[in-house]
Amino acid sequence: MSRKWLLDNQGLFFMAPAMILFFVFVLYPIFYIFNASMYDWDGINEAVYIGVQNYIEMFTDDRSFALSIRNSIYWAFLTIFPQMFLGFILAYILTSGIPLQNAFRVIFFMPAIVSPVVLGIIWQRIYAPFGGLLADLAWETGARFLMQPYLSDPKIAIFSTIAVNVWQWTGFSMLMYVAGLQGLPGEVLSAAEVDGAGTLQRIRYIVVPMLRHVHLTLILLGVIGTLQTFALVFMLTKGGPNHATEMLPTYIFLKAFPLQSMGYASAVAVVLLVIALGASIFQVSVLGSRFTIGN
Amino acid sequence: MKLNTRKALAFIFVSVLALLWMVPIIMMLVVSFMPPDQRAPRFGGLLISGVSLQNYVTVFEDAEIVMHFVNSVAVTVPSVFLVVIISSLAAFALARLKFFARDLWFYLLIMTLMLPIPTLVVPIFQINKALGLNDSYLGLILPYTALGVPFAIVILRSFFAGFLREIEEAAILDGCAPFGIYWRIMMPVSWPAVAVVIIWQFMTSWNEFILALVTMNSVEVKPLTLVPLVYSGQFMMRPGPMFAILTLITLPVILVYYLMQRFMVSGLTAGAVRG
Repeated sequence: MSRKWLLDNQGLFFMAPAMILFFVFVLYPIFYIFNASMYDWDGINEAVYIGVQNYIEMFTDDRSFALSIRNSIYWAFLTIFPQMFLGFILAYILTSGIPLQNAFRVIFFMPAIVSPVVLGIIWQRIYAPFGGLLADLAWETGARFLMQPYLSDPKIAIFSTIAVNVWQWTGFSMLMYVAGLQGLPGEVLSAAEVDGAGTLQRIRYIVVPMLRHVHLTLILLGVIGTLQTFALVFMLTKGGPNHATEMLPTYIFLKAFPLQSMGYASAVAVVLLVIALGASIFQVSVLGSRFTIGN
Repeated sequence: MKLNTRKALAFIFVSVLALLWMVPIIMMLVVSFMPPDQRAPRFGGLLISGVSLQNYVTVFEDAEIVMHFVNSVAVTVPSVFLVVIISSLAAFALARLKFFARDLWFYLLIMTLMLPIPTLVVPIFQINKALGLNDSYLGLILPYTALGVPFAIVILRSFFAGFLREIEEAAILDGCAPFGIYWRIMMPVSWPAVAVVIIWQFMTSWNEFILALVTMNSVEVKPLTLVPLVYSGQFMMRPGPMFAILTLITLPVILVYYLMQRFMVSGLTAGAVRG
């Protein structure tokens, strides 16, 4: 490496700290889980090589794994689209010049910055069958449908958990749409108004299509968020009852630490990694999603 | 006139929704002020019989809340600082300099954004074990920094890319090296983007849970995010102290967000307007 080469490539020095961290804490761990997934290993004793046995078991004889895949699909669809829909409506109203609109934005965004650990405990009290907010509301008002075994019924628990997530992240979608709406060229909208387009027409034919990059960013972030979900589920249900709310991350944790099956956990992690990278690369390269709504 | 009715309706709709939206947060605050002698709080605790600070006293007496707070600060602040420095250096190079395999480096780093952190839990636990970093602040600071840098690069790179060439060229003519351009010309005017990076990294580090859960086993080093688990047994039947803890955990994030929120939208739009 000549002096000239180094001078021409000074950028590498600027990149070096980021790259070192990337190699140690991202790239090496990826190789690590691929390797570890081939072993029967409790994390302490000698690991035994078993080839793809972990994967075979996972895909043929593991109800919890199947449930966590099913729940991830529910989670993705039932969080991303409601959040986008509500977030867009809020953003549209909160950029129209109504009083206190900045205060409203702060209120709707606030749950997004609170730890899911905290929110999990609060929502347990909202959902609690005795003395819980919804249960007492049902008693007092006679709206008996509000009294449900929100977290204890395996059929309902996953949806109760998803609802908390929607509540938490709608404000984030709103904020992204606010930024997107503020970036729209005002002339186009005024021109449409002059041409006699009503509000709904303008939204449907001009605003929504022009915010395509925001929609795509939110879908991308939503899919990644779905595949990362851990703390909220861990605090609300611990993946229960009977794995009914298990997500891939909670299952990895359960296998790796309480059950001390690091090899199997690594195999689940590999599957999660492949799903995450596959879905993201598809969205970025085929749909043209980006991580920010800017450049 | 018609427009005003519509705005009034929109205002009412948003007000009602905002009130409902705040219920869980209000509940957290209200329960934390619940008098300790109140039995069976109704509506999850939304109705309390009086206002008392006793729960906070209990928390400070029975739980080492200050210690956990210090732990959170000791993990979060260095990671925010490192992310700002490391990502701005890299983003500057990616936006303004030419070098070997530049685009490849960028795509590799971006890949991290698509990676669910739970996939890395087992290896990071083992790396920390090998380096003797479990139960130490560094065992969280380093992974938090590594995982935070890519998003910060995305934000800062698009901000740096928007600068006019002429300023840079004038600086080069005056004999300014790339580091000088980065440090003396770009960084001082990049605070809107840096603010977004700071808020984001602060919130993710402060609220991070799964890595903290597996890395910090001794009570003395646990950050605030693990505190509800530590005291869940002790305060199981006493929602008051528990919700006081939740409030204390949440206050710093809300404070940081409140101080910096005006940069949030402008920082996010900066790229869009320039791009």
